[in-house]
Amino acid sequence: MVRAALKLGLVAALVLFPFVVTSPYYLHLLVVVAIFSIVALGLDIVFGYTGEVSLGHAALFGVGAYTAGVLEFQFGIGFWVALPLGVVVAAGFGALLALPALQVTGPYLAMVTLAFGTIIAILINEMTFLTNGPLGISLTKPFFADLREALPWLGMSKPRMRDVEYYYVVVACLLATLVVINRLLASRFGRAFEALRDSPVASDCMGVSVYSHKVLAFVLSAGFAGLAGVLFTYSEQYIAPNNFSFDLSIGFLLAVTMGGRKSRIGPILGTMVVVFLPNLLADIELFRIVAGMIAAVAVVVGGIIAVRAPERRVYVAIPVVLCIGFLIFALWLPKITDYKLTVYGLMILFVVYYLPDGIYGLIRQALLRWKRAGAAQIVGSGAWSAISPDTVSGPLLELRGVVMQFGGLRALNAVDMTVMPGTIHGLIGPNGSGKSTMMNVLTGIYIPTAGEIRFEGHSIAGWKSPAIAAAGIARTFQNVQLFGELSLLENILVGLNHTYRGGVADIVLGLPRAAREEAAARARAISLLEFVGLAELADEEARNLPYGKQRLLEIARALALDPKLLLLDEPAAGLTAPDIVELLDIIRKIRDHGITQVLIEHHMDVVMALSDIVTVLDFGQKIAEGKPADMQADPAVIAAYLGTSHIEAA
Amino acid sequence: MQILAQLIASGIAVGMIYGVIAFGYQLTFATSKTLNFGQGEALMLGSLVGWTVVAVTGYLIMLPIVLAFGLLQGAVVERLGVRQAIKTKSEAGWIMATIALGIIFKNLAENIWGRDALKFPSPLPEAPLSFMGVNVLPMEVAIVVGALAMMLAVEVFNRRSIYGKAVVATAVDRDAAGLMGINTSLVITFSYALSSMTAAFAGVLVAPVTLTGASMGGVLGLKAFSVAIIGGLSSGMGVVVGGLILGITETLTGYYISTGYKDVPGLVLLLLVLTLKPAGLFGRATIKKV
Repeated sequence: MVRAALKLGLVAALVLFPFVVTSPYYLHLLVVVAIFSIVALGLDIVFGYTGEVSLGHAALFGVGAYTAGVLEFQFGIGFWVALPLGVVVAAGFGALLALPALQVTGPYLAMVTLAFGTIIAILINEMTFLTNGPLGISLTKPFFADLREALPWLGMSKPRMRDVEYYYVVVACLLATLVVINRLLASRFGRAFEALRDSPVASDCMGVSVYSHKVLAFVLSAGFAGLAGVLFTYSEQYIAPNNFSFDLSIGFLLAVTMGGRKSRIGPILGTMVVVFLPNLLADIELFRIVAGMIAAVAVVVGGIIAVRAPERRVYVAIPVVLCIGFLIFALWLPKITDYKLTVYGLMILFVVYYLPDGIYGLIRQALLRWKRAGAAQIVGSGAWSAISPDTVSGPLLELRGVVMQFGGLRALNAVDMTVMPGTIHGLIGPNGSGKSTMMNVLTGIYIPTAGEIRFEGHSIAGWKSPAIAAAGIARTFQNVQLFGELSLLENILVGLNHTYRGGVADIVLGLPRAAREEAAARARAISLLEFVGLAELADEEARNLPYGKQRLLEIARALALDPKLLLLDEPAAGLTAPDIVELLDIIRKIRDHGITQVLIEHHMDVVMALSDIVTVLDFGQKIAEGKPADMQADPAVIAAYLGTSHIEAA
Repeated sequence: MQILAQLIASGIAVGMIYGVIAFGYQLTFATSKTLNFGQGEALMLGSLVGWTVVAVTGYLIMLPIVLAFGLLQGAVVERLGVRQAIKTKSEAGWIMATIALGIIFKNLAENIWGRDALKFPSPLPEAPLSFMGVNVLPMEVAIVVGALAMMLAVEVFNRRSIYGKAVVATAVDRDAAGLMGINTSLVITFSYALSSMTAAFAGVLVAPVTLTGASMGGVLGLKAFSVAIIGGLSSGMGVVVGGLILGITETLTGYYISTGYKDVPGLVLLLLVLTLKPAGLFGRATIKKV
């Protein structure tokens, strides 16, 4: 209710703005804020959600701008064609930029985007025949519909009419951007972006391909940068290569970080600060006053903390000293405009250290605390029921002579194993015997050096993780791999990604199918949470769960894949005794649903109680296989675990 | 043929500079898995400080002063930009913070030394030497010798001295080194200091041949990163070879295509290597553990 009113208020304010503020200067400033906001909102998809630092967004923005510029300058093609083309061309460059993302992340990808940006800047500068080089391109703002005669009471001159019209076009684009991004990020795609940031391995094993989703994130993000670029070209009516420098990329990043990642309001707030900042910096007096206020606040806050918590004195002293230093710097400066970039840099440092969640992050925290009091109760939607797998005759999984070689180390040496449908198959062995390697080979994280793996009769050796997940093999991880910043419910929904048929278009257009699928998936997710007894915590972030519950959540997430085969990698590790009892119960229930399980475990009582058959590995080789009780008595197994005595060996 | 030999000769000099800066990336990456995105600015500052000092003291006394300045500058970058981010394991944190520091350094340099390129006096004669028709500046020879000497010195220090062993131990396993009583955060600070020192040294080496100025750092830093990637972030030999490959490719591009495109091959090479063989041409792929 409040939200709807706020949104309506925002739209009304944007519509009325040109009539309230008649200064062309401020109208133009608002247009610039809106255009840069579109870039920042797009950047947030890559930076906030997939967690990659892009230093190439100024270049993507430039690609859009130059698409419009070149179309007009070389071919005389105008605004309405340039608008979609700018989006498409920039999105294409975004896909190109994402190619290296298959292999690299983090600092590498940041450098890749920087290199990409530099190349684009060079190309724009050098390809004079197309871009007119350093001279830049001039063009005029489009004039759409002359309403001066129809609405004489507006009393507008022709140039002002032109500006106001263009303002509305830009505002419409901004609102459309907001709607599209809101819908996409609330959908399975937004969850997938966050999932691949928190745990790429787990995403792949949940059938959510890291690569294709990363490419999608870059393409979407670049598309918005391209849209903004086209708008920028016609708004400024002149573009030159140095409009799209590295500093602008930094400005976009600063806007997103300072405003607050993973929100719609944040990037817009941040963009406002970044755009208005030069105006603030143009006035040295105002700048000194602001610096003085900052220093005063820092001294007061620092003083309070120093008195209350003396042990944090040193930690607090640094920013206080910096703020005082900043004031001295401000008083000493004769002219501020030369130091604009220094102020930028200081702001980035400040935001990175003291405001990592941005301005909106602070507000959101305060809001959440207030909201917590009346958290809604989640209603269950019936018990979870597995889509029971077809009963196949013969083995479900067959390994023949599987070898996994790492350099000189043979982690798996010609292992044969057969898993029959409907059973719980224990896999044990001392540390380093190759159990987890086996799991990784079975789920496509490692490609086996040699040997054959057949699942339901098809060879799956060499398949990638998402394909194996889609075929019906789900897993949990020895070191829990949850999507930490997603809620429990969303973690399960990532596992349910395979239940969706609708694509990006369904979600952007808000087609009923998208809503239907989402509702069905949510109902299933809640019933899965109920199955493992975590339904009350559905909205909690996964990283806040205690360890034992995290393991249960992983099992529920794996079940969301509707697997035929579930691989459990040490599910009882680190669990307390009551938790283990609960776990035993859950594993049995899963079996009763007809799902075959492979169980790696060090708790012998768990393995013995559950397994129908046990395979024992040692140094990468299968040393025994059979009924649990027989294995306990097998001399080779005992030797592997306890070692042989010299007397016996002799 | 003679032109080609000439181009390769100048390419080698440029390439060695890239190699030294890339070597600096390796130093910090080894100990902390972080990089200074403002590495180019460290070079630029070293070069400009050298420019100011050399007018007073002459080239030989200027060198230790610049090296000391580089050490200090690197330590400042680590303390302000990296330390906190390592603690909170925030990758975006140190990337943004080192970028921010780079921007600040560049902006301050613009205000102190101006925006124009400055001529750095050459300590060696500026008349080219001629080897079989190929002209080589004495300073270019000095670059190759100096760059190799600097890398060798740091390597010897790391392998022979007890302090260097602490660096190597931290590089191999930071947690284990910490448990053995090594102050690993000090080692990381030190590796940043060393890294900036090599960059500052590269700055005063290259300045007499090119020019110096506040904007010299950015592209050099980025191309040196290409070299570090091409050579592999863990391979000492790789940066020399990678530097030479890039240096020679560039001078060839500059001559045969256009000087405007001279920066492109290095960046394209970076993109290609990262797409096809991210561990670098000389690095070994790591096995991901789950």
